[in-house]
Amino acid sequence: MSEQNKVLKSEDELFRFIDNDQFVSEKITAPRYSYWKSVFRVFFRKKINIVIIAFLVLILLVAFIMPIYWHYDPNENVTNAATYNLSPKEAIQYFGGFSFKWMLGSGNLGNSILYGIVSSARTSLLLAVICAAINMTIGILVGALWGYSKKVDAVMLVIYNIIANVPFILMVSVLVYIIGQGFWSFVFALTVTGWLFIAFFFRTQVMIIRDREYSLASRCLGTPVSRVITKNILPFLTSVIVTLLAQELPSYIGMEVTLAFIGIGLSAAVPSLGRMIAQAQGAFLTYPWEFWSPVAVASAITIILYVLGQNLADASDPRTHM
Amino acid sequence: MRKYLLKRILFSFFSLFVVVMTVMLLIYSLIDRSMIFQTDDIWNKRNLNERTVYEHMQYQRYGYLTYQDYTDFVRAKYTEQYGDSYSTQAQFKADIAAIQNENTYLENATVQEFIAKTKAEGYEVKYLQPIRFKSGKVKPGGTGFLLASREKSVVLRLLDYLKGFFHVETTRDVKDANLTERYVRFEKDPYSGLFAIVGSGTQHKYQLYFDGRFPFIHQNWLSINLGTSYTTYRGMEITSVISKPAGDTIKSRTQFPALLGTDQYEKTAIDFHSLTYNANPTEADREKFPDNYTSYSFRRAGLSPLETSFVIGLFAAVIAYALGLPLGILIARRKDTIIDHLGNAYIIFIMAVPPLAYIFMFAAVGTKIFHLPYKFANANVKVLAYFLPVISMALPQIATLMRWMRRYMIDQMNSDYVKFARSEGLSEKEIYNIHISRNALIPLVQAIPGTILGALVGGIITERVYAVPGVGTLLTTALTARDNGVIVACTVFYTSIAIISQILGDLLLAKYDPRISLTSEGGGGR
Repeated sequence: MSEQNKVLKSEDELFRFIDNDQFVSEKITAPRYSYWKSVFRVFFRKKINIVIIAFLVLILLVAFIMPIYWHYDPNENVTNAATYNLSPKEAIQYFGGFSFKWMLGSGNLGNSILYGIVSSARTSLLLAVICAAINMTIGILVGALWGYSKKVDAVMLVIYNIIANVPFILMVSVLVYIIGQGFWSFVFALTVTGWLFIAFFFRTQVMIIRDREYSLASRCLGTPVSRVITKNILPFLTSVIVTLLAQELPSYIGMEVTLAFIGIGLSAAVPSLGRMIAQAQGAFLTYPWEFWSPVAVASAITIILYVLGQNLADASDPRTHM
Repeated sequence: MRKYLLKRILFSFFSLFVVVMTVMLLIYSLIDRSMIFQTDDIWNKRNLNERTVYEHMQYQRYGYLTYQDYTDFVRAKYTEQYGDSYSTQAQFKADIAAIQNENTYLENATVQEFIAKTKAEGYEVKYLQPIRFKSGKVKPGGTGFLLASREKSVVLRLLDYLKGFFHVETTRDVKDANLTERYVRFEKDPYSGLFAIVGSGTQHKYQLYFDGRFPFIHQNWLSINLGTSYTTYRGMEITSVISKPAGDTIKSRTQFPALLGTDQYEKTAIDFHSLTYNANPTEADREKFPDNYTSYSFRRAGLSPLETSFVIGLFAAVIAYALGLPLGILIARRKDTIIDHLGNAYIIFIMAVPPLAYIFMFAAVGTKIFHLPYKFANANVKVLAYFLPVISMALPQIATLMRWMRRYMIDQMNSDYVKFARSEGLSEKEIYNIHISRNALIPLVQAIPGTILGALVGGIITERVYAVPGVGTLLTTALTARDNGVIVACTVFYTSIAIISQILGDLLLAKYDPRISLTSEGGGGR
């Protein structure tokens, strides 16, 4: 009897009755996973990314806030020939002691190079962001539909095969030549066909995923096309999108510089890095600071955007979240 | 396969047509046409009515409109009646003078006839009143004109352009009643010592001939007319602008055709293979030439713009493939080592930095450290001038090739066939250099024809930075000089090259990888 009780006692210690709690039984216990949280966790694990972001924030702040205080007037010293083409050292000496304004010297009309670069950087960044936003949005939406629907594919392939034959630089330069050199006509020239190339790239990616089993299952269940695209396909391609963005953003800055160099850049009314570089290219060996300062800034911006985008793309690949 | 190819080629023609049509439509309808006079000296010298007439003349020449001038009309009318002596007729003089009086010109019968005729043909008649000083004297350039103009639609202009695109010479080309003999035949060519195909009645005398210039065999039978330049090369045909050398003339001791066999030699730069028909040769010409083929061009030194660009592009491509592919294999093999990081840094540099910036960096390093010539024309040793442009074009290509080669190599590295090869006991070197790289090359093969043909287009930035006399600057100078003819020509040229490269690339791809079939259909989806 006592033996039996002992056994029972030990059972009491191991188990006890609890009330049936409806609320708790509804809970599913699995480690919490938030996609974007994981992306940023992986992203910030690399310390170099924090440094790059700090640089980017600095550039953005300077480019968007400083022009309010540093009013850039390319013709301010145009009447005083003594201020033309001064090296940083000479300029600081000439204008009486150190000032931010003259720390990069003066240009061929006595203009402050630093002020010019700061106002121009704003134009370049705006151009890059606006063009990338337009091209990526249209490109991804059209590309998703293009890859998904065979009917759309047939039509779009004809259009693509015609337009893709025209070299992009030719297309953009002819368009700028025709519609003018203002900021918005520039945006138009860069986006009117630019999205097509993104869409085509995206089409191929979508086609790969379209026929995977889980998509097939969704289709069998009668899920509408729009939901299959937005819920099944697009999330899978997040890292592809970010990689693409990393290439797109700097490319517009480079395109503006190239077009300005061949003489069809933004008009004189809009300060731009391309224009500054194009104007100073003749002085590339004689007054190097006039040429290399805007080149260095343009390169720094593009490299930062590119590296940041690439690292973000790496982090947005779920396979790195382990 | 043949059917597929035919379909591809037909579609290519269609897309080329659409592109040219769109560009022409945009250029000729959206751009202010008076822009073409911005750099025209003759236009600047003309005033008032004369300027307007000159504008009409140029608009007609560049295909904007067709126009008829009253004076020409009167001249034609009286030539028909009186032959060459028309200009002495009193009636003729009266008709010509009629339009100098703005009050009475409409009373003249010939004027009425001109207006009625041109209006019937759909022309718009414009009367430019004489412009006078207060004294009544006509201002310079202010004489009265009567002309009729008709706008040419873009479609017509496009058809004209396409009609004149290919020209095949025939014996009926020369419209001269005095030319009795018309033939095309083999003849011994006294200038090369070999044979040549010689034509009479054709535009060029020599249809096919040999000479010492690359590619040694030349023809004048088929010509492509891309269009005419307006501002940049004053009325020259673009095909000849890009294919003829523009260096100094080369003089050599030679004989004129009629003097062959005599001992009369001359030191001249005339290229006797370039003879074309001339309806009215001078007396001096008659002594030197046996027939009416007396117009010629000169032999010039150096390379044509097309050849210059091609040489630079080809060297750059060869260097890029020779270095880019092995380097790509190397960094893929040494993945995540310092070599890989260095390679990646270089790739990021090329991908992210604007091309202009790194080309100038190469230029700075090349001139400052290696003392290479900077501007093409200033080079003392001509060969050295090619160094910087070739390097500037090769370095970015190396980066692109490295990037893709690395990517595809890494994708292939975990394939089953690699594991199998390893289990067979092949060395890592063999696996990488033979098995993986061959498969990784498949996507890159497609781009090879494009790289080679793309060399013909030239580097737009590179050629401008180093002032290379190639074709890369053609488009950019045309854009800044508002030379519509050249812009259309460039569109056709660039687009054709892109299309041909694409087709050749696909064919090469299918040849290189037998698994790829261009004709079969695949894939699922709705």
